[in-house]
Amino acid sequence: MWLDEESPRRQGALQASLEFVGALGLLLFASLRGILQARIELRETLHQMAFIGAASAPIVALTSAFTGAVVTLYSASLLVDVGGGGFVGGAIALAMTRELAPILTGIMVTARCGSAIAAQLGTMKITEQIDALRALAVSPVQYLVIPRVLASLAMFPMLCMSANAAGVLGGWAVAQAFGVATNTFLQSIRLLTEPFDLIGGLLKTLVFALIVSLVSCQQGLGTRGGAAGVGHATTRAVVLSMVLIFAANYFLADLLFAER
Amino acid sequence: MSKTPALETRQLVYAVDGRTILHGIDLRVDYGEVVGIMGASGSGKTTLLKCLCGLVKPTAGEVWVEGVNIALLSERERMPLRLRLGIVFQYAALFDYLTVFQNVAFGLERHRRLSKAQIREIVRERLAWVGLEGIEDLYPSQLSGGMRKRVGLARALAMDPHIVLFDEPTSGLDPVNAYQIDRLITRLNRELGLTAVVVSHDVVSLMRTTHRIVMLDAGRIVAEGTPDAIRASDHPQVQAFLQMASAERL
Ligand SMILES: Nc1ncnc2c1ncn2[C@@H]1O[C@H](COP(=O)(O)OP(=O)(O)OP(=O)(O)O)[C@@H](O)[C@H]1O
Ligand SMILES: [Mg+2]
Repeated sequence: MWLDEESPRRQGALQASLEFVGALGLLLFASLRGILQARIELRETLHQMAFIGAASAPIVALTSAFTGAVVTLYSASLLVDVGGGGFVGGAIALAMTRELAPILTGIMVTARCGSAIAAQLGTMKITEQIDALRALAVSPVQYLVIPRVLASLAMFPMLCMSANAAGVLGGWAVAQAFGVATNTFLQSIRLLTEPFDLIGGLLKTLVFALIVSLVSCQQGLGTRGGAAGVGHATTRAVVLSMVLIFAANYFLADLLFAER
Repeated sequence: MSKTPALETRQLVYAVDGRTILHGIDLRVDYGEVVGIMGASGSGKTTLLKCLCGLVKPTAGEVWVEGVNIALLSERERMPLRLRLGIVFQYAALFDYLTVFQNVAFGLERHRRLSKAQIREIVRERLAWVGLEGIEDLYPSQLSGGMRKRVGLARALAMDPHIVLFDEPTSGLDPVNAYQIDRLITRLNRELGLTAVVVSHDVVSLMRTTHRIVMLDAGRIVAEGTPDAIRASDHPQVQAFLQMASAERL
């Protein structure tokens, strides 16, 4: 398996991407099997939930608030002029729940935690700590990967909720400045959005959670070489996670929202 | 065939990045035996140990651990075997985010049904074996290299493995501590019947602790025998090692 077989250093792009997809699939399979067998390291999982969830909440909320504010800045200046002030609240709520909150959650957690996961696991790999785990008959998948995957699955939707709240709040503050009354703002949210906008957005974050946790773990565990190797693994984890998130987001939007 | 050996390799080959590191190693370690491996830096000693405990998959050949050919097993199938086999890493490989106590207790907490008090007692005892006391709450980064190495030793011994692979257990230790570790290996072998493979550059210590010595050169076994036979060997590389050792004693 990928853990103890080193792949050659230089290879073609096609072979490299096929190998990446294969390794990711194997890791997903091994994680699912571990989860189904209920082999879960509770303490490590809670620790990761605090790191991925609680500690990321402020930065996710902050970026979402500013994003909600700037989107409203554009939409309100347009809508209020043409007498559409009653749509401002709905527009920002729709944009946040369907698109912006899930994407911002994915990006911020990738930047903050995906990089940290890859760097930590990469350092453990090159200092033989992964080998030491295996020598003590503890599976790295069970001890390192599953807690991070589970913690991500649990915390991404919550982070997305806080992103929604912060984004709409930021939008509301700007709408105030454009003279949109709070009542009108709330009324238009109620009118234009439905529960599935929120649910669909939260479903997206579950896919993003899998992407970030699996890619970061896979890159970390596949680290070779010294400090430079850890650097490469970290960069690749962030870049690959982000690209996959944006790609997945398109297909998920098509799947979840295109018909509506 | 005689009784099953504890460890055996047959025509073990290991290659990485197109370079062959082990060229067909045939090694046999019987139960209750202490076998020393010596050889120049880069001769493949660490790689051989990693093949023996299934941390790397051999490119070709067989690796038998307690009668099972682990070269054919998947990583998951190899796991249970590792409960009975300990390895002391050359560079300790301690978990750097855990304290000394948590490092030594790591396997116990996951694989043994023991009370907290029992675990604490075992950890204290293993650390005392390697001459360390009162450092349970320190992190690896707060220890010296030699201390780390001894914590790694304590961690491997915590699970009471009956086969232990030692990768240079005494390098970097002061002579007194190195002697204590040699004594510990001998004692564990005599009293508990521990089977051990000891990689070392220290010829004198190998002569003292082992029943049989294997000389590795560029991935091949070039000499093998009891300490006395090795002493009498006329292989140039063996002679070079012995001469340096006797020069050191002056
Ligand atoms: N992961 C790896 N990738 C590529 N080459 C490796 C790898 N690990 C070891 N080697 C090579 O294998 C050879 C044997 O290495 P090994 O670590 O087994 O030597 P050693 O006998 O333990 O040396 P030392 O006494 O210095 O610890 C070396 O030439 C080394 O360059
Ligand atoms: Mg070595």
